Amino acid sequence: MSEPAKITLEVQRYHPEQDSGPRWQRYTVPYTAEMSVLEGLQYIKDHLDGSLTFRWSCRMAICGSCGCMIDGEPELACHVFLRDYAPGPVRVAALDHFPIQRDLVIDHSDFLEKLETVHSYLIPAEERTPADGTHRQTPQAMADYYDYAQCINCLLCYAACPQYGWHPDFAGPAALALLQRYNLDDRDGGHRLRERVIDAEQGVWGCTLVGYCSEVCPKGVDPARAINQNKAGSAARYLLGWWRPGRRRGEDRE
Amino acid sequence: MKRSHEPPLWLLFGAGGLLAALLGPALILLTGVVVPVAAERGVEVLGYEATRELLARPLVGVLLALSLGVVLWHAAHRIYHTLRDLGMRAGQGVWWACYGSAAIGTLVAIGAVIALW
Amino acid sequence: MSRPPVYRPSMRGWWQRHPAYRRYLLREGSSALLAAYALWLLAGLVSLAAGEAAYERWRELHGNPWVFGVHLAALLAALYHAVTWFRLLPLTLPALRWGGRRITDRTLVRGAWLTSVALSVGVWLYLLGGVR
Repeated sequence: MSEPAKITLEVQRYHPEQDSGPRWQRYTVPYTAEMSVLEGLQYIKDHLDGSLTFRWSCRMAICGSCGCMIDGEPELACHVFLRDYAPGPVRVAALDHFPIQRDLVIDHSDFLEKLETVHSYLIPAEERTPADGTHRQTPQAMADYYDYAQCINCLLCYAACPQYGWHPDFAGPAALALLQRYNLDDRDGGHRLRERVIDAEQGVWGCTLVGYCSEVCPKGVDPARAINQNKAGSAARYLLGWWRPGRRRGEDRE
Repeated sequence: MKRSHEPPLWLLFGAGGLLAALLGPALILLTGVVVPVAAERGVEVLGYEATRELLARPLVGVLLALSLGVVLWHAAHRIYHTLRDLGMRAGQGVWWACYGSAAIGTLVAIGAVIALW
Repeated sequence: MSRPPVYRPSMRGWWQRHPAYRRYLLREGSSALLAAYALWLLAGLVSLAAGEAAYERWRELHGNPWVFGVHLAALLAALYHAVTWFRLLPLTLPALRWGGRRITDRTLVRGAWLTSVALSVGVWLYLLGGVR
């Protein structure tokens, strides 16, 4: 049997107990045509360096755990093949714009907090009880928000977004896409609640439509669209606020 | 969460951007290329008398002044935000420089148009 | 137990990290040339109000090779602006339907270009004396 092909991976390492900052470490990994970059990382951990730390789970681009920068692009490690980067060196680093906790593991607590603020759950438009039966919806109604519902919270879009990089208080692509998913769901009646987030400085107005977020999204969510669809409505509400200031003043005070 | 005051800036930015997109290429082609190329062949395009007559009409003049205004506004908005994107700590001073010059440009345009009447 | 230190990466030189970022800056930067053209037209408008001599001086300058060159650059910038603007326009609109069918982004972009051509022809005709 012939010698397997080899590829060089240059992986970002950072162990805060001994490193002052991130550094690069090279590994030579044998690979086959079907191996993903994730499997390359797993080979390193299993055979070369057990101290390498990284998140992964499903291996099939649905759990959103294994996001990282591969040759400077935000990717799901399980979603790209080693063969496309051979012979390397291919650089694997932690996702941009997030604090790095250890090796490729980032601190994503900021995103989780953002997710809570957008009320990413169905707030029924009408009172319903289980006796009312299934809350049904036409296929066309579902098509209106379907794309935005595909988000797997992988955070590649946050790594792509320079506005999030500059201003970490920006709600960000995924949170705002999920906000839009519920606003466009005709079973939902919570759009007033979510307006607070939309109209904020850190809401849709933090976006300058770089558009790279939608390019890197592995599930075709198109967060750039979700965010920018809300600008006209937000602007209309702002002007309406001049016309009828009483309505807005109370909410601004908070 | 603090409410953003971007909306009115964004609306003017959008108006200027749309106008520039719809008419920019055609206008630049006309004044920047056709005028000098025609002049070389001895044909007068947008001469004084003709242009004065076209732009002296109040409606046309006002539209022109406002159009120039929103395009300047569009550029001011983009330039201000791009300076911030590049890491410059563009504070109040830069804000006033950008939007202020757009405002002054609009006023000059309105003044010039009125002077034509 | 104290939290272990985290490392916060820097945003310095971010725009060099990917072509998408360079394209974004190019798109935003095109507005500078658009502003230059608007200011040039403003100068023309002011000279028109000032009188024939001033206006003809402004008009004659268009034959200057530098002025011509900047206009060509502005033309390219305006085209790049228009292409990117119309491409992004559908993203700012809600899902639109006509007779039950979804109006696609491609339809919207084509509509925008048609509108641009129609308005441009109208303005050309007006300025060149074809329409009164």
